[in-house]
Amino acid sequence: MSPPTAVAPARPEIVTEELPRRRPAWVERATSTNHKSVGILYLGAALFFAAIAVVELVLLRVQLIVPENTAIQPQIFDRIMSTFGVTAVVLFAIPLAFGLIAYVVPLQIGSRGVAFPRLNLLSFWLYLVGAATIYGSLLYRPSEAGFAALPPLSENVFLNTRGVDTWVVGTALAVLGFVCFSVNLVVTLHNMRAPGMAWRRVPLFTWAAGISGYLMLVIGPVMLAALTMLFIDRHYGGVFFNAGEGGAPLLYEHLAWFFFTGVYMLVLVFAAGVISDVLPTFARKPLFSHRAAMISMLAIAVLGPLAWMQNMYTAPIGFSFETFAMVFALALTIPVGLLIFNWIATLWDGTLHTRAAPLFAIGAISALSVGLAVELAISVIAVGWQLDNTTAAQAATTSVFVGGMVLGGFSALHYWFPKLTGRTMGEGLGKASLGLTLLGLYVYVLMAFLAGVKAQPVDIYKFFGDAGLDGFNLAASIGAFVLAIGILLELGNAAYSYRNGVRAGHDPWRGATLEWFTLSPPPEHNFDAVPDVRSAEPLRDIRRAIQDRTASWRPPPPPEPVEPPASEPEPVEAASAEEAGGEGTAGGAPVA
Amino acid sequence: MAPRTTNTRPAASSAATPGVKGLAIALGIVGLTLAVLAAPADANVLGPRAGHSPNADDIRTAYWVAIVVAALLILVINAALIAALVRFRARRGLTPKRLAAGPGAFMRPAVPLAAIAIGLFVFGVVITSDARDVQPTTSQGLNASNDLVAQAGGLTVPADAKPLEINVVGQRWLWRFDYPQTLNQPPYSTFSYSELVVPVHTTVILHVTSTDVDHRWFIPALGGQVEAVPGHETETWFRADSKGVYPGQSTAYSGTSYAVMRAWVRVVSPQQYQQFVKQKRREIAAAQDYVQKAVQQGAATGAATP
Repeated sequence: MSPPTAVAPARPEIVTEELPRRRPAWVERATSTNHKSVGILYLGAALFFAAIAVVELVLLRVQLIVPENTAIQPQIFDRIMSTFGVTAVVLFAIPLAFGLIAYVVPLQIGSRGVAFPRLNLLSFWLYLVGAATIYGSLLYRPSEAGFAALPPLSENVFLNTRGVDTWVVGTALAVLGFVCFSVNLVVTLHNMRAPGMAWRRVPLFTWAAGISGYLMLVIGPVMLAALTMLFIDRHYGGVFFNAGEGGAPLLYEHLAWFFFTGVYMLVLVFAAGVISDVLPTFARKPLFSHRAAMISMLAIAVLGPLAWMQNMYTAPIGFSFETFAMVFALALTIPVGLLIFNWIATLWDGTLHTRAAPLFAIGAISALSVGLAVELAISVIAVGWQLDNTTAAQAATTSVFVGGMVLGGFSALHYWFPKLTGRTMGEGLGKASLGLTLLGLYVYVLMAFLAGVKAQPVDIYKFFGDAGLDGFNLAASIGAFVLAIGILLELGNAAYSYRNGVRAGHDPWRGATLEWFTLSPPPEHNFDAVPDVRSAEPLRDIRRAIQDRTASWRPPPPPEPVEPPASEPEPVEAASAEEAGGEGTAGGAPVA
Repeated sequence: MAPRTTNTRPAASSAATPGVKGLAIALGIVGLTLAVLAAPADANVLGPRAGHSPNADDIRTAYWVAIVVAALLILVINAALIAALVRFRARRGLTPKRLAAGPGAFMRPAVPLAAIAIGLFVFGVVITSDARDVQPTTSQGLNASNDLVAQAGGLTVPADAKPLEINVVGQRWLWRFDYPQTLNQPPYSTFSYSELVVPVHTTVILHVTSTDVDHRWFIPALGGQVEAVPGHETETWFRADSKGVYPGQSTAYSGTSYAVMRAWVRVVSPQQYQQFVKQKRREIAAAQDYVQKAVQQGAATGAATP
């Protein structure tokens, strides 16, 4: 710009009366439709409910330390148990997956936003209002209808309390939120991938996210329908599930199990996505087979929900339906086994940097293998007759959920925390938490399994001394407490590191996917320039291109021999690696 | 096949190195040996308590086969994970080999996995059908007079089964058992609560249902769980091989007192069973008489009937 002269020519000016008022940070946070803000909201809420679920688990296990314990009244126990189930699955597991997806997936596909940002934000608020509805019933009388509120027990005749209504409405609101979220996710993935990012090149976490989205679009409405029918039964004279009036109690079981089996598969696919992104990064080698991992995840999502009747072997549904369920439940062995093979082959001949993220991922594989192998055994109908609804089946499910959502989720948290906050989570604390979580989990799972093999039912508020299961229950409780300490430690780690963690660079792990191409935390619009994607590891290509150019770069021949040559070759920075802060300095000054 | 390594694009490799395979196989063998050695000693800890009915024995066979397969899978996967974690850490001067799957690399793991799945499926169908096949009453059992078998759901009942058919009704939070009616005179029903009394060596078919919410009938020594669903009838059977009392407990959450919804099956000799039924009928008849008289007296004296 030329220096100002004495007489400036008149020109039009843009005059503002005042700066746009800055709203309080929390209002900004609550109303921002930016996908990163929505992701943080989801994550915060999910981790909060993780802490609540852990406290509830501890209370449940305190009651079962000694036989015929009277520490907690039966009804109180039932309320905690009913709330714990929905908290762990609907308020913690799915939102944790969706929070990470909301934050990371648009970055991984090189997008500057999402397709329906307001729907995205709405989905979070629907979920949170649902959670508040469920927990609002703490003020008077929470649901006692059990983990899935199966009718006839959850019908008005047997539980005429408003707690069941809040459970139904709250769960429905949350699931509605998840469906809204999935609509946005699926549309974003279809339309907003970076140029050149064909489906075969999308990062595996994004692939898992897409599968989760489609899965939720299939299973979510089924649960919404079931909950709506239950609500009509309870309040508007419906007889959907009332056997005395010609309804079918088994119908709700089918619908609810379809949903919960789908959630189970969602957890698996989410964990598979995380592990498939984390392991190659830290082993410094690509996934053994990107394509096979993609097909395996897809197969899990297709086969898994079709095995919902695996939970209904004892119900009067007939041998043919039971066999149908067994086919799909056993068929899952192949994709799950190939995924695990894929991960181990990825570690093989690699150079694993043993940070907390990959260790959590390996812990997750181990816990998943334990839980899924036992599930495999329970899938045999005759074994299901013995173990279904005992603590043995519960132990297997716990192993899968803790492996997938807690260990897999914490692996993801360690991995992407620098992207979210610009800081790393505590490594030592993370590893300590991993050790405690795995130890507690395995003690709990083994002991609960052995008690269940001897027919200890789930959901009981007390067990009798003559069952001979005192030792198993005591050990299972101790395991659960250690598990709880491990999880709480990691939650504290995340909370502390959010503001006080060690500062990390923009790309601390040398990741191969596009989210590491931008700053940490990313600017509002994510990317200044979106690169063309040419492989499944776009950032590796970019690094190599930079390396090639810097290696072949020579200083231009000096025009004058007297001048000294340029001293250092300057590394060519990626276009987006500049702070998007150029405009804030001059343009904002108000003209009075 | 040894992995080829290049600096550019991933090379094809379809198998792990021989050392690893050896390690995995060795660990598998060690684990299997340990399991086989430990099984008799620890079957009490690791497995269900002993069964006393042919279908319960089938379930135990199914359990042991399936759980050994599961344990082997867990062992192999975790051994490979630990081996990978220990052997392939980042060290100075070590470069990762960018090996990736060639075509067919997944055939090797897929074949055994498919074999496990198919094997367990076939085994599951066979053992489950076997558990559903009702065995006939033996010569030592009660020679039940009625050879009339009602529709028995998913069970296969042979013509010579001579079963004792008992209706089991779940209600919060106890079980009611209705015994077959042999005499056409009052009382017209013979029933008991919480404790089911049956003759030994006799095939018993249970028709399980519920009058309120879902329950589950489960006596581990005498077969698997069956759900008691209002409006449905679920069938199961057993043939106890020795006298004794076998406890069990409902395994479907049914509200406040669910944890105390227990049941006992007392297996007695056929003579004792017939005595029990007679005794029960006398008691019920006496109780009904008493109530009837009380009601009549109340009506005669004008007092409010209870």
